[in-house]
Amino acid sequence: MSDIAAAPIARTALSFPGPVRTTDGWETTARHAAGGLRLADLGPLVKLTVRGPADGSVRAALGTSFGHTVRPRGGPLAGALVVGSGPGEWLVLGAPGTGGELLAGVRSIIADSGEFASVVDVTHGRALVRLTGADTPLLLSKVCAVDLADRVVPDGAAFRSSVARVVTDVVRDDVDGTRSYLLHCERSSGQYLADSLVDAGIEYGIEVGAPTEHDDATGHPR
Amino acid sequence: MSRARPGGSHRLGARPGEVIDRSRTIEFRWNGVTHTAHPGDTIASALAAAGVRVFARSYKYHRPRGLLTADIFDPGAILQVGDEPNVRAAHRLVEAGMDVRSQNTWPSLRYDVKAVNQLAGRFLATGFYYKTFIKPERLWPTYEKVLRRFVHAGEVSPDSEQPYFDKRYAHPDVLVAGGGPAGMAAAVAAARAGASVMLVEQEHQLGGHLRWGDAEDLRCRDELVAAVEAESNIEVLTDSVVAARYDDNWLAVVQRGLPHVAERLVKARAGTLVVAAGLIERPYVFAGNDLPGVMLSTAVRRLLNLYAVRPGSRAVVFTANPEGDAAAADLRAAGVDVVEVDARHGRTVVRATGRGGVEAVELSDGSRIEADLLVTAVGWTAPTSLLNMSGANPGYRPDAARFVPDPAATPAAVIAVGGIAGDGTRDELVAHADAAGREAAARALALAASRAGSADTRDPVAVPQLGLHHHPELFFALPTGGFVDMSEDVSAKDILTAVKEGYDSSELVKRYTTATMGPAQGKLETVNTVALVAHATGKTIAETGATTWRPMYTPITLGALAGRKFEPVRHSPMQPWHTSHKAAPLIAGQWIRPEHYGDPVAEVRNVRQNVGIIDVTPIGKLDLQGPDVAKLLNLLYVNKWSQLGIGRVRYGVMCAEDGVVLDDGVTGRLAENHYLMSTTSSGAGTVWEWAENWLQTEHPEWQVHVTPVTTAYASINVAGPKSRELLARLTDVDLDNAAFGYMNVRTGTIAGVADCVLWRIGFTGELSYELHVPASYGLHVWETLMATGADLGIAPFGVEAQRILRLEKGHLIVGQDTDGLTKAYSAGLDWAVKLDKPDFVGKPELAWQAARGEHPKLVGLRPLDTSVVPEEAAQIISDGGYIVGRITSSRLSPTLGRPICLGQVDAHLADPGTRLTVRLRNGSDTTVEVTAEHAHFDPEGERQRV
Amino acid sequence: MMLLTCPNCGARNVSEFRYVGEAKSRPDPETATPEQWRRYLYFHRNPAGWIKETWYHGSGCRRYFGIERNTVDNAQRPAGVTS
Repeated sequence: MSDIAAAPIARTALSFPGPVRTTDGWETTARHAAGGLRLADLGPLVKLTVRGPADGSVRAALGTSFGHTVRPRGGPLAGALVVGSGPGEWLVLGAPGTGGELLAGVRSIIADSGEFASVVDVTHGRALVRLTGADTPLLLSKVCAVDLADRVVPDGAAFRSSVARVVTDVVRDDVDGTRSYLLHCERSSGQYLADSLVDAGIEYGIEVGAPTEHDDATGHPR
Repeated sequence: MSRARPGGSHRLGARPGEVIDRSRTIEFRWNGVTHTAHPGDTIASALAAAGVRVFARSYKYHRPRGLLTADIFDPGAILQVGDEPNVRAAHRLVEAGMDVRSQNTWPSLRYDVKAVNQLAGRFLATGFYYKTFIKPERLWPTYEKVLRRFVHAGEVSPDSEQPYFDKRYAHPDVLVAGGGPAGMAAAVAAARAGASVMLVEQEHQLGGHLRWGDAEDLRCRDELVAAVEAESNIEVLTDSVVAARYDDNWLAVVQRGLPHVAERLVKARAGTLVVAAGLIERPYVFAGNDLPGVMLSTAVRRLLNLYAVRPGSRAVVFTANPEGDAAAADLRAAGVDVVEVDARHGRTVVRATGRGGVEAVELSDGSRIEADLLVTAVGWTAPTSLLNMSGANPGYRPDAARFVPDPAATPAAVIAVGGIAGDGTRDELVAHADAAGREAAARALALAASRAGSADTRDPVAVPQLGLHHHPELFFALPTGGFVDMSEDVSAKDILTAVKEGYDSSELVKRYTTATMGPAQGKLETVNTVALVAHATGKTIAETGATTWRPMYTPITLGALAGRKFEPVRHSPMQPWHTSHKAAPLIAGQWIRPEHYGDPVAEVRNVRQNVGIIDVTPIGKLDLQGPDVAKLLNLLYVNKWSQLGIGRVRYGVMCAEDGVVLDDGVTGRLAENHYLMSTTSSGAGTVWEWAENWLQTEHPEWQVHVTPVTTAYASINVAGPKSRELLARLTDVDLDNAAFGYMNVRTGTIAGVADCVLWRIGFTGELSYELHVPASYGLHVWETLMATGADLGIAPFGVEAQRILRLEKGHLIVGQDTDGLTKAYSAGLDWAVKLDKPDFVGKPELAWQAARGEHPKLVGLRPLDTSVVPEEAAQIISDGGYIVGRITSSRLSPTLGRPICLGQVDAHLADPGTRLTVRLRNGSDTTVEVTAEHAHFDPEGERQRV
Repeated sequence: MMLLTCPNCGARNVSEFRYVGEAKSRPDPETATPEQWRRYLYFHRNPAGWIKETWYHGSGCRRYFGIERNTVDNAQRPAGVTS
């Protein structure tokens, strides 16, 4: 084995016209979006799927169940966002580069539980975007048939449904009181999904850009 | 270009309820002549203000037609605007610069009467669709041309710009269809009761008939509109229509008049649907009833009071109700001479006469009155179609001369309010609608609560029911004459003829005559048609019954239905490279894949001689974890999996319960309880759901977790004699044949990327490694392989080269070499099926197939004429001309220099050396010979094991 | 479009689901006769009225579930998980 290979560069599922930059080994758009409705590519975030009994020790340790989210303050998953993405199914989102720690954290939870549970790192297998702005419910109503009213999907709620005909995890995760949603889908459809969101958002003045410190999934400044 | 007199010769002074903005004047063109209008005018009101009486020619007989209803249903005012045909000109607002033309006016609006009518009379008899133009068949193209000319119904240019149609979903608790007094009152009451409300009004303003009423009506309208506007929970959609109601209150609402959007289809899922569609005035059927100048009383009041247009100068008002009386009063107030003919006193109109418009009116008593305007007010039709679509079936009430819904027979999720439900004073209507709105909200909120898991604990609201005012039954004059359906040019005589010919039910008459099938969709025509059928059959209207009301309530554009289309496409991480290297795109399901990079034959040769790489990311990949994975594999695959060692991969075939081949692929064991399964590209989703089905429904006790990781990995197949040499430069995995032999799996680092999976397998028949790289690094690894392998002659290859390579090697493709009837033994997979396993999916059928042994077989086929490549799907035929098989795959092999095939043939023809006849697409026959192996090249597999 | 009530996700548009079929129990493959097996594969009761069905919520929770549906008016009521 020779060392002629350059340092590997990771690319998310999404690319947008314009300049790119490389941060933490990830190549992303260098555009900055500051408008009232913005789409940010959160592809570099760590993404783990966890499966286990819907109601057991693993669920207790993860701290949430299907349809809800939690941000553990301490413990092995501190700083991550844990999403109940299905019955007995969780999605753990963490800051880029924390995959090793989070994977170890989930494995320790599984080991301690004595239950049959598993974890798969799907960081590279999924696309993740954040939509932020007061008009996001209007935009999403053009691509998703689920009612986004507060009584159905309050802040902190999660569901999976069809978004522009792509099966997508939708997580309502408001940022400083502004409506915000995470959308998470299988990677190869990510560019199509983002394009569909942008198309639906043109009438509301959508902007695409790099995430700001308030735009990452974990809710902690990066 | 000529120019009409500005202002409009028929425009009146300011009216209290007018909707036009007199401070501004805009110009538009009508058949090439420039006219003026005020913002707020419809095309028709602006033209009427200019004294235009004839708007179009009728559909079949090319009779001159003018305004009848002066609203969206007006059959006389369907016009071409610019590139848009069939614009409802009595609804569409005038815009500056509009180019408006009449339709159906071959050869011209004014001068076509005689010639066309004579021609028409010969062909267009009752049921002409079924009677004429039938024989001889060879003249069909000629007939079609004549008909097209006749009924040209507007034009669309193929160059016209595609407007932006949109769609969105909505979830109102209460959706109110109709923004008249009842609809507004119901909406306000529902909103105040805590419901989210969508209020949909077809016209441009809320208010319904109050808009053209007296001062009290206008005051009531203003109050209700103010109440609606005060409720933030009401979303008002004007110039929009609830076009259809489907299961579970799924409502198709078409929203118009939006900036940047041509039309938007709102798919609304409402808790309660409140139908407040009001009443539609019904035309009267009599000789001359289609002459320009014959109008409904509501049309006259719209023109007078909304647009300040005087519709004539001498009017006969034929009235049977207070609204007709009000129209007469309004006309008088506008300075029109009025003669009233009161049906309540037994007088009726029997005929209107004139050339190109009304000149005189004849009454039942034989008297004749000169007039240029004949106003009819003979009754109302309840536009119940949304109720009918909900499963309610309103019945005919002779005392009220209209169909009326029965609340008890209406589904709980639907409530009818206002005029459609009954009659009353303005205050009674509002009180009834207010209670209905509260009840609608209560039902919707209870439904929402029950969907959220709470019980329904509400108290029902008592809704005061409306009574019915007596109204005389007036449908047609005797002797019968005139038109029943002016859009379709169906006359009263046509209906009577149809009944005489044996079409004695409404549904049959409708289809035979096309009455009610035009743009108004029966709203103006159905009841009169039914009345005529009843008259001709001697039955009552209630016995005769209306035709079925179907979507759409109002015709809508196809663009609105199509909306923005969602067609997901999938890309691999290497797609940017493929695009920049001119890959020919192949659409495979949702995936866009490189078919080739210019020369698939050269790509094949390079794989056989040097090394090639292909992007196989779409191959399905499933991560399998748990102690019971082997049990799952043994169940799903026909072959055995218990003995698969860690680090080994095995080819497997799956069948369905009927024994038919479902999918194939290789599965590798990465660790004790950790496997990676691959599937065909098209079968990835199916196999995942298939595995979950068996785990969830048949074996929930098994401990297995299946996670789809198809696109977590970018997959690259490195194939060719130099593939090991290339990879050795980039990986820490020991590639020596002794350490990493054929059908093994290793994990390691490639081009600096950790956690890669390497499978040594061989679809192409060459030494090859399938690399599964964390997808974000796929492009990096691909580019590094290309750069590193330059001196080895590396070249990318596409799907077409892979198809050729695998056919040379005789590997089948599920779905191409098999079909929906191909059981495993027919696919030549005898070696894989292990009937001594206790259970696997498809086993019973396969056991019976093996015992019977008469199944078709997949065989290799060698064409004897090396210049002929039999087409895929070409039939293999017996001496007697029977089909005994077919070619499933065929190519010219670049490696062998001759055509090669796979095909399915009947069992008795499957022995090696058998010669078979293939019928080619051009009709000629060619001979092929069954080969001993599926593989045409390297059947021993020497090349992939080196 | 009708709604279907998923036991995990609640009422959703039926287009989110795949219809698996009338719920049936699989005969023992070791002992089933061809007649029994093909009755299982190809025959359906298809009544006008209540029927126990299996659906798959492909766009949602990705779970197979049983539900009872009235084929006359699409009324639904929960059923135990198919087994």
